[in-house]
Formats: sequence, structure tokens, C-alpha cells
Amino acid sequence: MSAVANPTHVGEPDTPVEYFEYDDQVVRWFTLATLGWGLISFLVGLFIALQLSSWRLNFDLPWLTFGRMRPLHTNAAIFAFAGNAIFAGIYYSTQRLLKARMFSDALSRIHFWGWQLIIVAAAITLPLGYTMSKEYAELEWPIDIAITVIWVVFAVNFFGTLIRRRERHIYVAIWFYIATIITVALLHVVNSISLPVSFLKSYPVYAGVQDALIQWWYGHNAVAFFLTTPFLGLMYYFVPKAVDRPVYSYKLSIIHFWALIFIYIWAGPHHLLYTALPEWAQTLGMIFSVMLWAPSWGGMINGMLTLRGAWDRLRTDPILKMFVAALTFYGMATFEGPLLSIKAVNSLSHYTDWTIGHVHGGTLGWNGLLTFAMIYYLVPRLWNTKLYSIKLVTAHFWFGITGTGVYMISLWVAGITQGLMWRGITAEGKLMYPDFIETVTRIVPLYAVRALGGSLFIIGFLLMLYNIWMTIRGAQIAAPEKHRAHRLAKFTHIDAAVLGNKPHRILEGMPMVFSVLAVIAVVVGSVIEIIPALMVQEFNPGSKAVRPYTPLELAGRDIYVREGCYTCHSQMIRPMVAETLRYGKPTTLEETQYDRPFQWGSKRTGPDLARVGGRYPDSWHYRHMLNPRDIVPQSIMPNYPWLIKDKTDTASLQQKLKVMKTLGVPYSDDDIRFAEANAQKQAEEITARLKKDGISQASADKEIIAMIAYLQRLGHMQPTEVAAK
Amino acid sequence: MSDIRRYDELTNEPVLDHEYDGIEELDNPLPGWWLATFYLCVIFAGGYFLWFQILHDGNNIRHTYNQEWQAMEAKAMEAEAAAAASMSDELFAKQVNDPAVITAGKAVYESKCSSCHAPDGGGLIGPNLTDNHWLNGDGTPMAVFKVIKDGVMAKGMPAWGPVLSKEELSQVSAFVVSLKGTKPAAPKEAQGNAY
Repeated sequence: MSAVANPTHVGEPDTPVEYFEYDDQVVRWFTLATLGWGLISFLVGLFIALQLSSWRLNFDLPWLTFGRMRPLHTNAAIFAFAGNAIFAGIYYSTQRLLKARMFSDALSRIHFWGWQLIIVAAAITLPLGYTMSKEYAELEWPIDIAITVIWVVFAVNFFGTLIRRRERHIYVAIWFYIATIITVALLHVVNSISLPVSFLKSYPVYAGVQDALIQWWYGHNAVAFFLTTPFLGLMYYFVPKAVDRPVYSYKLSIIHFWALIFIYIWAGPHHLLYTALPEWAQTLGMIFSVMLWAPSWGGMINGMLTLRGAWDRLRTDPILKMFVAALTFYGMATFEGPLLSIKAVNSLSHYTDWTIGHVHGGTLGWNGLLTFAMIYYLVPRLWNTKLYSIKLVTAHFWFGITGTGVYMISLWVAGITQGLMWRGITAEGKLMYPDFIETVTRIVPLYAVRALGGSLFIIGFLLMLYNIWMTIRGAQIAAPEKHRAHRLAKFTHIDAAVLGNKPHRILEGMPMVFSVLAVIAVVVGSVIEIIPALMVQEFNPGSKAVRPYTPLELAGRDIYVREGCYTCHSQMIRPMVAETLRYGKPTTLEETQYDRPFQWGSKRTGPDLARVGGRYPDSWHYRHMLNPRDIVPQSIMPNYPWLIKDKTDTASLQQKLKVMKTLGVPYSDDDIRFAEANAQKQAEEITARLKKDGISQASADKEIIAMIAYLQRLGHMQPTEVAAK
Repeated sequence: MSDIRRYDELTNEPVLDHEYDGIEELDNPLPGWWLATFYLCVIFAGGYFLWFQILHDGNNIRHTYNQEWQAMEAKAMEAEAAAAASMSDELFAKQVNDPAVITAGKAVYESKCSSCHAPDGGGLIGPNLTDNHWLNGDGTPMAVFKVIKDGVMAKGMPAWGPVLSKEELSQVSAFVVSLKGTKPAAPKEAQGNAY
């Protein structure tokens, strides 16, 4: 396909020719940042995988424990690795698809450096335990504000370029970028709204079920609009470029784009199946996930079939192979997703490693391989040279797909095994595996296999780093090429001669109208699912029967959040016979109505804790937190020795209760005034009980005491129950 | 103005009259099987919502749970009755001294009890089981059985009845009774009354 020399489109008025250059410097930066952060996020991922197969790797150090490292891994992988990759690809392709330099070089640079600073801030605060505990939205409020600012910088830069474009119509890749930029902004702002207690601590404005629903509306659409739509946009640019063939079907692009963004936004509640979320919302989450299957596959088909006539090149071109493998993994993950959203399947898979395996099929297979292929395509062009070694790319390809395969399969087996063990009931009506630890011990070897899969993936990536390093070492970046194109005539009215006469074609010539329609597409589902959660009685029991947390319990809860306990323990007993036998009666909406943030969790590496209160004596928890293996010899939980040394932060309790009261928790003025004294009193009661059980070294001002107060409270929500205790 | 600029040289399919940075698009229709899949999913989704959320009362998960719970309880009660019929105090008293039963009870003890009562019964969080002092009941096999089965929630002793089978309860009771008089490594001081 010969590069067409910027013809004015049929019907465009004759306008002056303009000369311009593309800004590839920022693309080079984002590319290198992708590789650097990629290495870090992969290594942290491997580290936490190994922690699950060998608990000693938690090293008894607060900032290295699984609960703090896991958010670091997910945030680094999503926002640092995938984020920088998206920006590299978008900055490169947008300029070329619109025939315009980015709107502002200054904004491009602010975007780049601002984003890297945010990542550094995340890498510092998350290990230190500053977290909102909302998955992939853990960062505390000052960083959230920084993200918003930088995202707006990106948006202004992008839409500014769109306005200055020299191409009348916008290509499908640009559609996906538009949807991404708009929706991520919406998701991030709505989900992160919180009221600060101090510089790095805040409570979300939503509580319990509302917080859960909004978080998973965000969480699922982080997958949709950060890991899917931008990557589909990249795919639509880089696959046809790399294979040099026309895109299979323009019609399919239109239908699957609109279907995808309209339907995706509804699917969040499939993360909350069988929880206390009202069932109609769960059902919406499920059925929209099922409907999402075909629109997702539309992207895969359009990418795959673009290779028709060029399949023979797969034998010789490992970059094409990677693109095809990425699309294949995308197809697998987007089939598995709807499958896991079906209630019956989800009842088995939820809280198990099956979900983790599913996610990594998407992230390693789709996002990872697509990013690698894109970078292999970009680097020779950006650095004006040739790839150092094609053989190493081939090796990377094999390491990448083998690693991803081993990872997925080991966690399928682990997840299904554990799910089946959890639900096994004997003829006598008793649990077949009453000890949770039995179900853990069984799958620990698979955690080692998973780590092997991850290692293979990383070996492939190291080959890439070496290959890229050798490629750009000593390369001479060429002077920017001059391009020429006609300026677009001012838009005055819908002129069929200029815009075409098909409705969607006309729309492509009016990007701002297009963007407004994209906003409407994603707002419809959001409003229908979220507004009732904020307004309707069904979601807001407002029951006076539930007692708010005491100051000490709240302090303990904040420690629970800080340590990332939610990464391994749920607090949501599902209405299933086996769950009731194991954990107690199903969790109700009322019970979590003061939970800011909610701690329902999404994974049970350890057992559910919703009703752990009162199950064991205080001394059990004391010894268990210090060394879980003193109580359960095969436990894989980290030790938390610092809870016994560190003092509980009681000075902030007044402020915390005040913020909670502002948010609607019924604390009285006296509750607030005497918060510290009340905490002290409750801590002394617990310490006295511990002493009676022979733990004489326990001291009332330590964090472990607050933690015990919180854990003993779980499942005991009624004032009457407390009185009887 | 025609929408088609040319025909693709490899597939002979129409190429649309636009290109972006050299990228062209074909005018292929939506694949039929893809469209059929989409329609089927949409029909399934609509039907599912209509059937469960509108035609039924929308509390299906709760109803199913209640039904399954009742069915399980009925089955459990049957099993309990059958076990009780084959069990008597005399039989139990005999079993308590049966070395095979005690050995089986040791395995149960190690997995369920030793974390609180120490592997040798000397006591940790829970009381010493080797002395002749008892906090609950009088230390006779039947009393031990009852404490293990029903628990003493106020003192932190969990009820094992919902977890262990009748047979396992008898076995572990037999083992605990057999501990009396043994010499643990680090015995906890006596608690409760002597019997």
C-alpha cells in the first residue's frame, strides 16, 4: 500500500497546504518508561506470587508483606506499565491519524513527568500502608487529585489535537481513545470522592453496599477502559500498519465499538454476585456481561481477519506472531469473562484463584504481548535503526505465551480445586473440608507453578530489554520528518460533499458530537446502576439496630485496611449452604452500612472474616497475628510482629469520628469528645482478658489491641449482642 | 461520489474510499455467525431478566438458599438419628478404652485441638487436659463428649458438633480422656474444679 501523498478529500474546499512535524520525543520517553515500569511491576508480581508459595518471603517487614505489595503490583502493572504503553501508542498514532502535531509540547511533557511522579508517589505510599483499600484505586486523596489533574492535561492535549487535525474524519482507533479518555476521568473522579481525615488518610463518601457497587463499577471498567478500549485503539492502528493490509470490516468497527462501550459500563456488578447487593443489580451485571461477549470478539475478529492474505508472514515475522497471540488471548479472556459472570459458574469461581488466572490471561496475554509487539514495531522507527535481533523476538514470543499459559492453567486448576473443596458437604450435612487450611495446603504447590509461569514471562521480557537496549544503543535519532497536508476548511454546516452521506461517516467528521454521544453511551448504564444505590431505600437500610464502630474498633479497622487484609480475606458470606456451615449466616446489607471503605474483598486466600468476632478468644488472635503458625501449623499468612511493638494512633480518633459523623454515622458529640478515653478503656479491658490468659506482656496502647477489638467486633453488629458479650 | 475506491488485490473485496496514515478499510459485512451470537446473547439476557427479575419476585438467590438449607438440615437430622440409634452409653464407654479408637482420635485432636490445648494436652490458650481439674463438666467421657460437641462459647471453646462427624467426636473424646495422667512438657496450671 503506497503512502498516499496527503490528498485533499473529494469535496474539501481548496485550503492552504501546511507543513508540520510529529513530536516523537515524548513517544520515546513513554516507551522507555513502559519498559522500566514493566520490569518493576513484573518483578513485584513474581515476588508476591512466591510469597504465596513461601510465607517466609514476607520477611516480617511491614512494607514487604503481601497485603501491601499486592496493591503495588496491580497499580504498577495497570497504571505504570500499561498506562505508559497506552500513552506511547496514543501519542504516536494520534498525530499520524490526525495529521497534526500534539496540541502542546508543554502539556505532553507535563503529562509525561506528572504521570511518572504519580507512579513514584504510589510506589512510596503503598508499601508504607497509605491506602484506600479500593482495588486499583488504592491511592490516597492527594495522589487522586494529582491523577485527575494529569488526566485533564492529557485530555486537553488530545482534544486540542483533535480540533487542530488536518484529517476530516476520525479513524476507529481515535474513537477508542476518545471513549477511554472520557470514561476513565468519569470513573476515577466518582469512585475516589472521599473526605480527608489527614494528609494521607481519608474515608470514602460511600459506605457499605454503595461503596462496593461504585468500586466495582470502577474496578471492572478500569479493565474495560484502561486495559481494553485503549488497547483496541492501539490494535486498530498497529496491526494494519504492521501487516500492511486493510482493516477487515469498517462496519464491524462501528457496531462493535458502540456496543462495547455501551454494554461494558453495566458489567461491574458481576464482581458482586451472591453478595448482599440487591439481586436485580447482580442480574444486570450478569446479563450485560453475557451480552459483552460478541462486541468484545468483534475487535478480535476485525484484528485477526485483517491478516487475511498475509498469514504466511507469521512464519517469519515474530512481531506479527505477537500481535496475533495478543488477539487470541484477548478472545480467550473475553469469552472466559462472560462465562465467569454467569451466576452458577461464579458461585464456584468467585474468591478463588480462577479469577486471578483469568485476569492474567488478559493482562499478560493481551496487554503484555500487544505492548511488546507495539514496542518492537515502534523502536526501530523512533530510533531510526533496525532491531538488534529478530531471533530474540521469536524467543520472547515463545517465553511469553508459554509463561502466560502455565500461569493461567495452574490457577484454573487451583481455583476450581479450592472452589470445589469449599463447597463439599457430606451426607451428614457437614463440611467435607471443615479446616480452611486443608484447601490452602492443597493448592500451594500450584502457587509455585504459577510463579514458574510468571518467571518464564519475565525471562522473555528480559530478552526484550536486552534486545531493545542493543537496538537503541548508539542509534542516531533522525531529524523529524516534514509532513504536509491541507488545512481543514472551517466547519460551518453538515455538507455531504465534505462529510459523506452515511450517518456514521458524518459523525466521524464531527469529533465533538461523537464525543458527546460516547459520553451518553457510558453514562446511561452508570446512572441506572448507581443512582438507585444512592437513593433507594433497598440500598440504604438506615437501621438503628447496627451500632457504629467504637473508637478502638475504628482504629483497628484502619490498621486492617492499612495492612491490606482485604487482599486475602473477604467479609461477605454468600447465601450458600456450605458458606453458612463454614462461616455463619449470610452477610446482610445492614451489617456493613458504616463500612468506609467497604471490606467485602474479592479473594479468599484465607477464610472469610465477616463473623470471626467471638469465635476465638482474644489470646488466640494475639498469638495468631504474632505468628499464625503457632495456631495453624501450615498457615501461609505473614507474621505481624510490628502490631505488638507499634502504638495505636489514638490522637487522630477524634478527627476520624468527626469525619465519620459528617458522613452520616450517628456518633454523638460525647462519642467524639471522649473518643480517646473510650478507646483507652476498651483497650484496657482487652489487655486484662489477655493477661488472664497468660499473655502478661500485652500493653493497652499497642496496635494489636485495636486489631483484636476490630476482629472481635466482626459479625457482632447489634447493640444487644454487645451488651450480652 | 462512490464509497469504494478500489478492490483489494488479494481478496478482491471492496476497499472503502478513505485512508488514515496509509490504513485502509474494507467494506465487508458483519460476519453472520458473529451477528447471530450477538443476537442470541441479547435474547438470552432479556429473557433471563424478564423471567427471574420480573415474572418471579427477584429474590431467587435467597429462595434457593432457603430451600437448600432446609434440605440439608433434613438430611443431617436423618443421619444424626441413624447415628444415635447405633450408639449407646455402654457402647461409648467401651469405645473410650479401645486403642484403635484412641489412635483415630489422636489424628482428629492434632488437626483441630492441638493449636489451643498443645499437642501433648498441656494447654496453651485452652486449659490443660492432662490434670484432674475441669472447667466444664466432670471429666467423664460423656461430659468431655458434650463439651467438644456443643462448645463453651463464653470461654472460647468452639462447638465441634457442626464440624466433626459423630464418629470423630467419639474418637477425639476418647483420646482426650486418655490424656489424663500423662506428663506434658509444659503443663499449664490447673484451672477449674478437681474431680
